[in-house]
Amino acid sequence: MKARVLVDASDIDRFAPHTHPLWWGILGAVAIEAAVVATLLTSYFYLAAQNPAWPPEGVAPPDLFWPTVVLVLLPLSSFTMWWAGKGSDRGDQRQLSIGVTASVTLAVLALVARSFQIAEFDASWNDHAYGSILWVITGFHYTHVVSAVSGTAVVAVLAWRGYFTPERQLGVVVDTVYWYFVAGVFLPIYLVLYIAPRLL
Amino acid sequence: MRSEGKAKRGFGSPQERVRLRLLRLLSSAPFAFLLSGCQGIQSALDPASRDARLVAELSWWMFTSAVFIYIVTIGLLAVGAGLFRGRKRLSFRSSTTLVILGGVCAPIIAIIAIGVSGVAIGDETEGAREAGTALTIEVVGKQWWWELRYLDEAGEVIAVTANELHLPVGERARLELLSDNVIHSFWAPNLQGKTDAIPGRRNVLFAEPAVEGVWRGQCAEFCGKQHTLMGFMVVAEPRDEFNAWLERQASDALAPPAPGLDVFLDLGCGGCHTIRGTPADGQKGPDLTHLASRRTIAAATLPNSRGNLGGWITDTHEVKPGALMPSFIPEPQDLHDLLDYLEALH
Amino acid sequence: MTAVGIETSGHDPALEPSSYGHEAAVGREAFERIERTWRSPAGFVGWFTQVNHSAIGLRFIVTAFVFFILSGLLGLAMRLQLAMPLNEMLSPEAYNQIMTVHGTAMMFLFAIPAMEGVAIYVAPLMVGARDMAFPRLNAFGYYVYLIGGSAFFLSLALGMAPDAGWFNYVPLANKTFSEGYGVDIWTTMITFIELSALTAAVELIVTIMKLRAPGMSLDRMPIFVWAVLVMSFMILFAMPSVMVASAFLMMDRLVDTQFFIVENGGSPLLWQHLFWFFGHPEVYIILVPALGIVTSIVVTFSGRPLFGYTALVLAITGIGMVSFGLWVHHMYTTGLPFMGRSFFMAASSMIAIPSGVQVYCWIATLWGGKVRFATPMLWVLAFFGVFIAGGLTGVMVASVPFDRQVHDSYFVVAHFHYVLMGGAVFPLMGAIYYWFPKATGRMLSERLGIGSCLTVFVGFNITFFPMHILGLQGMPRRVYTYVDGLGWGNMNLLATFGAFLLALGFALTLFNVVRSLRHGAVAPDNPWGGSTLEWATASPPLNCNFIQQPVVESRRPMWDWREAGSRTVVAGLSEDRRETMVTTLLDARPQSVMVLPGPTPWPFVSAVAASFGFIGLIFSPWFFPIGFFAVFATMVFWFWPRHPWRKK
Repeated sequence: MKARVLVDASDIDRFAPHTHPLWWGILGAVAIEAAVVATLLTSYFYLAAQNPAWPPEGVAPPDLFWPTVVLVLLPLSSFTMWWAGKGSDRGDQRQLSIGVTASVTLAVLALVARSFQIAEFDASWNDHAYGSILWVITGFHYTHVVSAVSGTAVVAVLAWRGYFTPERQLGVVVDTVYWYFVAGVFLPIYLVLYIAPRLL
Repeated sequence: MRSEGKAKRGFGSPQERVRLRLLRLLSSAPFAFLLSGCQGIQSALDPASRDARLVAELSWWMFTSAVFIYIVTIGLLAVGAGLFRGRKRLSFRSSTTLVILGGVCAPIIAIIAIGVSGVAIGDETEGAREAGTALTIEVVGKQWWWELRYLDEAGEVIAVTANELHLPVGERARLELLSDNVIHSFWAPNLQGKTDAIPGRRNVLFAEPAVEGVWRGQCAEFCGKQHTLMGFMVVAEPRDEFNAWLERQASDALAPPAPGLDVFLDLGCGGCHTIRGTPADGQKGPDLTHLASRRTIAAATLPNSRGNLGGWITDTHEVKPGALMPSFIPEPQDLHDLLDYLEALH
Repeated sequence: MTAVGIETSGHDPALEPSSYGHEAAVGREAFERIERTWRSPAGFVGWFTQVNHSAIGLRFIVTAFVFFILSGLLGLAMRLQLAMPLNEMLSPEAYNQIMTVHGTAMMFLFAIPAMEGVAIYVAPLMVGARDMAFPRLNAFGYYVYLIGGSAFFLSLALGMAPDAGWFNYVPLANKTFSEGYGVDIWTTMITFIELSALTAAVELIVTIMKLRAPGMSLDRMPIFVWAVLVMSFMILFAMPSVMVASAFLMMDRLVDTQFFIVENGGSPLLWQHLFWFFGHPEVYIILVPALGIVTSIVVTFSGRPLFGYTALVLAITGIGMVSFGLWVHHMYTTGLPFMGRSFFMAASSMIAIPSGVQVYCWIATLWGGKVRFATPMLWVLAFFGVFIAGGLTGVMVASVPFDRQVHDSYFVVAHFHYVLMGGAVFPLMGAIYYWFPKATGRMLSERLGIGSCLTVFVGFNITFFPMHILGLQGMPRRVYTYVDGLGWGNMNLLATFGAFLLALGFALTLFNVVRSLRHGAVAPDNPWGGSTLEWATASPPLNCNFIQQPVVESRRPMWDWREAGSRTVVAGLSEDRRETMVTTLLDARPQSVMVLPGPTPWPFVSAVAASFGFIGLIFSPWFFPIGFFAVFATMVFWFWPRHPWRKK
C-alpha cells in the first residue's frame, strides 16, 4: 500500500521541556499525592466528627510557632526554585545552580523546624486516634519534603557539574513542578492540623 | 395498642395516604402463590412479618420487571444482530429513538420505581411505627454467638439469655444491636432485613412477627472462624406465653443443686458461663441459667439433646472448629451428672 | 447509507492483504535499522531489561491469567466444600484463607492487571504511538506486580495467608482479632500492588493524551482508548483511598496507632468508608475497559461505524464519575441515617442510564451491519446475556429495603459474579480471541473457541444463577458450610457441578491458546477487517510498532486507507533513536518528538529494592526508611545520565 507523507518530523523540536510528556507524568504523580492528602484530611475530619472532644480531653492543639516558620520557609524555597528555573530557561547555569542549592538549604531548614515541632506534639500516635492522624499526616508530608530534597540535591549536583545544557532542562522543569506541590500542600495541612482544632 | 396506631395513621396527612395506597398496591399480592411455594425457616421468600412480606413482594415485582426488561433487550439484540431473517436496516432516526427509549427512558422509569418503592418500604420497615414500643431487647454479637438482654421500661436488664430470641406475636419489638468485639450482622430473613452490630454504635432493628412460629437466623457479617455457625432461633408466641417465658428467664436457676453442679464448677465452666443462683458467674460464654429451655445449643447449630450436649462438651471443635470454648473430658460418671444437671436447667 | 453518511458495511476480511508491506515502505536497510533500534534484548538476562510496551503488556496479561487460573482453582475448592451441608473437606481456617485470597487475587491480581495489560498492549497501538511515554516505569510497574502478587500467593502455600476477607473489615482485621501475619501480608502487598496500578494509570493517561498519532483528535479516538483513559483516571483517584486505608491498618497493627480502635477514638466505619470509596469505583475500573473491548469487537464484526460515538463517550465518562458517588450502598446495613441512604439509592440506580445507553448503542450498531459471528463476537453475545442480568440485579440491590434482605447473602455473590465475570471476564476472553492473532501472528481455533464459549456460558449460569435463590433463601456469604435442613443442599450441589463445567470451558481456551501458538493458522495483519490502528502493524507487531507512524484523518483510519488505496504517514523520525511523535492534547497537532529510553535493568533492581522494603514492613516498621532510601538509591542510578552527555 502506498504511503502519503502528511507530517515531516525532521525539524520538530526534540527537547521541548514544557510540553514533554514527563511534565504531564509528574502532574499525574501530583494528582495521586493530592488525592492521598485529600483522603488523609477527610479522615481527620471524619475522626473529629466521631469523637466528643477533638483534640481529646487533656490534649492541647499543637503549638503554632514552628509550623508557621515552615509555612514561610517552604514558599520561599519555591521562589528560589522558580528563580532557578528562570535561569535554566535562559541558559544561565550559574543562576540555576545557586537557586537549586538555595532551595535545598531552605527546605532542610524547614525540615529542622518541622522536627522541633514534632518533638513538641502533645499527643503520641499510640494513645488516641487524634495522635495517630496527626502523626501520620505530619509524617507523610515530612517524607515528601525529604524525597523532594533528596531528588533536588541530585539535580543540584548535576547543575554544578554543568549537565543542564539548553537541551537538557527537562530534569529541572519536572523537579520544579514536584517542588511546588510539596511546598504548596503544606498550606491545607497547616490549616487543618494547626488552625482547625482552634476553631472546631 | 397497635391497631390504634394504625387507625390513626390511616387518616393522617395526604402524603401518608399516598404512601399507604402505594403500599397496598404493592402488597396486593399477585405473587401470593409463589410465596407459598417457598417454605423455609430461614428464608426471605417465606415472610412471617409485614416487614418481610413487603420486601418479598417488592422482590417479586422487581424480578418480574427485570425479566421483562431482560427479554425485551435480548430480543432486540437478537433481532439487531440478525439472528432472524428479514431484518431491515435501522435508519438513523429509528436508531436514535431506540437508544433514547431503551437507554434513557426505560432506566429512568426503573429508577423512579426503585426510588419510590425503596423509600416507601424502607421508611415503613425501618420505622418504629408507633411511639413507645413495648419491648426492647439488647442483642449483643459475640464471637460466635448472640447474647440477648431483655430490658424493662426503665432500661434495666430483666433477663439474659442466648441464641434464642422470643418475641410476642403482633408486637413491634425494638432490637438494639451491640458488639464489644468485631462487627456482626443480625439477620432473621423471615422477619426483617439485616442490620449490623458494630462496636461503638447502637443500631436499631424492629421485629414484628405476624404469626406464631419458630425461625432461624444467622450472622451475616463475616466475623471470623465461626462466622458460619453463628446462628440463632426466633420464637414468636402469644403474649401470655411470652410473659411466662420471660418471667422464667428472669429467675435464678430452677434446678436444685446437684452433683452435676459440682462437676460444672470443678471443670471451671463457671469461669465463662453464668448460672444464676450458683457460684458460676463467668461472662465470656452464654448464660446457662435456663439452658434446657432452649431448642438448640451451640448457636442454633445442634438440637438441644442429651447426646448433642455431651458431644459438644467433650468434642467442641469437632462441631465448631475454632470455637473459643475448650473441650472437656470428665470421668463418665461426672459427665452423666453434669448432663443430668444441665438438662434440669429449665 | 443515510443523511449522516454512515457508510455501507461489507468489509470482507478476505479482501485484506495479508501484510501491508512494512518493509517495502521504507526499504530493507532502513527497516532493519529501525527494528534494531527498537529491539528488545533476548535471553534470560535480557528479559529483565526489556521495556517495550508490547513485551510488558503481554507479561501483564499472561501473569494476570496465571493468577486467574490459581484463584479459579481456589474457587473450585470452595465450591467442593459447599457442595453438601456440613462437608468437612476444608477447615474453617483453610476456607477463610482461600476465600480471602480468591477475592483479593481476582480483584487485585487478576482483573485490574489484566485490563491494564490489555490497555498497555493495545492502547499505544490504537493511538498510533511507537511505545508508551515512560517505558521504564512501565517495566517497574510490572516487576512490582509480579513480586507483590507472587508474595501474596506464596503466603497461601505457607498457610499464613490473610483470612479476614478481601474487604478486611476492622475490628476483625485488627491485631486483637487477627493474630499472625496474614492481615499484614494483605495490607503491605495490596498497597504495593496498587503502586503498579498507579504507575500504569499515569503511564496510560500520558500516552493517550500526548502520544496520539497526528490527526487523532480526541473525537477521533477509538472508544477503547476513551475507556482506558477513563479507567486510568479512576485508578488515579480511587486507589489512594485504599492505600491510605491499608496504611492505617498496617500502622494500627505494626506501631499501635489507634485509627480503628473504638476505645481510643478510632472508628471501624472509617475503614468501610475508605475501603468502599475505592471498592466501588474498583468495580467500574474493571468494567469500563471491558466496555471498550466490547465496542471494538462490535464495530469490527458488524463491519459498520459505531452508532452514537458521542453518547458512548459521555456514557463511559459518566459511569466513571458517578461511580465515585455510590460507595455507601455497600453500607446500607451499618445503621446510617435512612435519608442519607436514600440519596445513595438514587445515585446507585442512576448508573442504569449510561449503561442502558451503551447497550442500546451497541444494539443500534449491530442493527445496521452484516454481523459476522466469529468467536470474539460470540464472547460479546455471551457478555450481553450475562452482564445485562447482572446489571438488572444491580439495580435491585440499589433498593435499600431489598438490599437489607440480600446484603451479604449469596444473592450478592450471584449478582457480582454476573457483573464482574459477565462484565469483565467475558469481554476479556473476547479480547483474547480478538487480539491473539495480532499479538502472536497465529489464529486461534474457531471450533475450540465456540466450544469454550458455549461451555463457559452454560457453566457460568449453572454455577451462579442458583445463588440468587440461595441468597433469598437466607444463605449468607463467607460461610464455610451450612447446617442441614434449610433446603440449600440441592442448589449448592448444582452450583458446584456448574463450577466444574465453567472450569472445563476455560480449560478449552487455555488448550486452544497453547495449541495455536504453534499450530494455529498464520494470521494476516488485519484478520478481522478492523478499523483501528493496531491492525496497521504486522502480526505480531513490529518492534517499533509502526515503521512509519500513521497520520489519522477520521475515526476509522484502516477503512479510510483501504478506500483510498494509500496510507497517510509521518516521515522524518530518526532511525537510530527511539523516537515517537508528541501531539497536542485536544486536536493532536504535531508538537514535538519524544526520544524514548531503551532497555535497562534498573527498573527491575528498583522494584526489587521496593519489594524488599514492603515485604519487610510485614515484620518491622524499620523497613520503611530502609526501603525508602534503597529505592531512592536505585532511582538515582536509573535516571543518572549514562551517555557521554558532555559530548554532542
